[in-house]
Amino acid sequence: MSGAVDVRWPTQPGVGAIERRRRRFGFLLTVPALVCYLILILYPFLSSVVLSFFKSTLMAPDPVYAGFDNFNRLFGDEAFGKAWLRTLVFVVLATSLTLALGLIWAIVLNQGFRGAKLLRAVTLLPWVMPSAVTAMLWAWLLHGQYGVLNAYLGRLELIDEPIVWLASPIGAMAAIILAKAWLSTALVMTFFLAALQTLPMEQVEAARLDGASNRRVFRYVVLPHLKKTLVVVMVLQAMGNLQQIDVIYAMTSGGPASATSVLSIEVYKTGFQQWNMGLAAAIGVVWFFTISIPAVIYLRTIFRD
Amino acid sequence: MLKLNKPGAQLIFVVVAVFIAAFLIFPLWWLVSTALKPEAEIFVKYPSFWPSAPTFRNFERAIGTSGLLTYLRNSMITAVGSALITTSVAGLAAYGFAKFRFKARQPLMLMLIAAQMFPFAVLLITIYPLLRHTGLLNSLTGLTISYIVFSLPSSIYILYTFFSQIPEELLEAARIDGASELKILRQVVLPLSLPGLVAVAVYSFMWAWNDLFYSLTIMSSKDMRTVGPGLMLEFFGEMQQDWGAAMAASFLASAPVVLTFAFLQRYFIQGLTAGAVKG
Repeated sequence: MSGAVDVRWPTQPGVGAIERRRRRFGFLLTVPALVCYLILILYPFLSSVVLSFFKSTLMAPDPVYAGFDNFNRLFGDEAFGKAWLRTLVFVVLATSLTLALGLIWAIVLNQGFRGAKLLRAVTLLPWVMPSAVTAMLWAWLLHGQYGVLNAYLGRLELIDEPIVWLASPIGAMAAIILAKAWLSTALVMTFFLAALQTLPMEQVEAARLDGASNRRVFRYVVLPHLKKTLVVVMVLQAMGNLQQIDVIYAMTSGGPASATSVLSIEVYKTGFQQWNMGLAAAIGVVWFFTISIPAVIYLRTIFRD
Repeated sequence: MLKLNKPGAQLIFVVVAVFIAAFLIFPLWWLVSTALKPEAEIFVKYPSFWPSAPTFRNFERAIGTSGLLTYLRNSMITAVGSALITTSVAGLAAYGFAKFRFKARQPLMLMLIAAQMFPFAVLLITIYPLLRHTGLLNSLTGLTISYIVFSLPSSIYILYTFFSQIPEELLEAARIDGASELKILRQVVLPLSLPGLVAVAVYSFMWAWNDLFYSLTIMSSKDMRTVGPGLMLEFFGEMQQDWGAAMAASFLASAPVVLTFAFLQRYFIQGLTAGAVKG
């Protein structure tokens, strides 16, 4: 070294004392978050996984090792298979409806007509409403006797008798899908609108000069540009819908019978109403593996950059 | 982007736009309209669009006969508390991840963000006894802490993309001037990242305010309830048919989030979409 300037310093792989101290500072910044994470997320999660191999009920709350008993019970239970399928139906339909409405709504607002900004702000409101409000409001709109939907359908003479939507299995499922789509459409729109605003207009104009129709512009210019946003939004929505419990529970409590009892509700009922914590944890583990499919796609997409 | 020069295309556009706008806006209007109607106008076969004799009776009943004000207060405490905690904790961590190349950086961050896939209901199975052992069950502190679960992972991710956009040269320049890391954080980074921090604070506030199920499980006594379970248990159920009061209470329960959101919308949308839309 003998007094000469070490020109390799900036790119040298071994790091100096200053940089080391700086890195330690950076790590220390993350410690509070890591502590919260360990206590409130990772430990509860792992402990639930462990609990799924134990028998722990209201009568005998002290966990006793039970091997795969809880899982065997689930997989032998036809009702559980139905709950899983029901969850899938809810997630697929709610996600597709929300995505379609959100994308169309973003394209509409992107036209930039007068009042588009105000319309965007107002239509975002459903997204900030408390779940209990969303649930009550939709139950009221769909009310069998005094609901406004029945009133309008009656006026238009589309139905003869009022329909008690929440009393029929299909009606209740449709109701929770509709309520969830109402809640999330504007959020999805926000993501798409932000992406549309970065759309290179030269490409659209070039396509127009070639005589491309709206459909072709959408298919060959807009859609490829939206691809990444589409994947991220779809996966986030699917994960959110798999997690959904508040609106469904408040609206139908999983009923009628168990027509809207998705996995989240099954965990709640088994765990906090029947106090069978081992079995609830086992449902949770199966549920986790279901969520991990979209989650892995999400993580791969966002970590690719 | 769309070319609407043919009347047919214009018609389709307008029909689609009106349909979606109605789907999103009409329920909101119906909430307000029902809240303002006297009973005689609510319980009819063909209810009118406008309340013909608007009244505040429903609001009086909603406040007078229920614990709504207590619920609002409890929600305010837990939502503000958890927003403050989440924002500061997530902010520090995101800055650490975005600007310092320590060794375990990538796996730790992946681990934190992957937490979004752990089902909340499953976590509650263990958080519940945890709170019971520490005496925090049925307490505002316990609920506030539990709410960190909802928004910590995504807050870290949102702020990470935010901090990544701060130019490295700015930090370097401050370092050359002899500023300590803490001073840089306070005087350079904090002012620049304020919009992102506001976005995350609003986001966490909303998660907490809108929650139903954690509060329903953790808070067992009536005077500890937050608005979610409060509304559901007092205004909604087979026994309860006072839809006017229910909608008035819903209006009051939504007002704080709607107002917060209205004022901070610009920051919020910027911060939230930054991550997903880039590239």
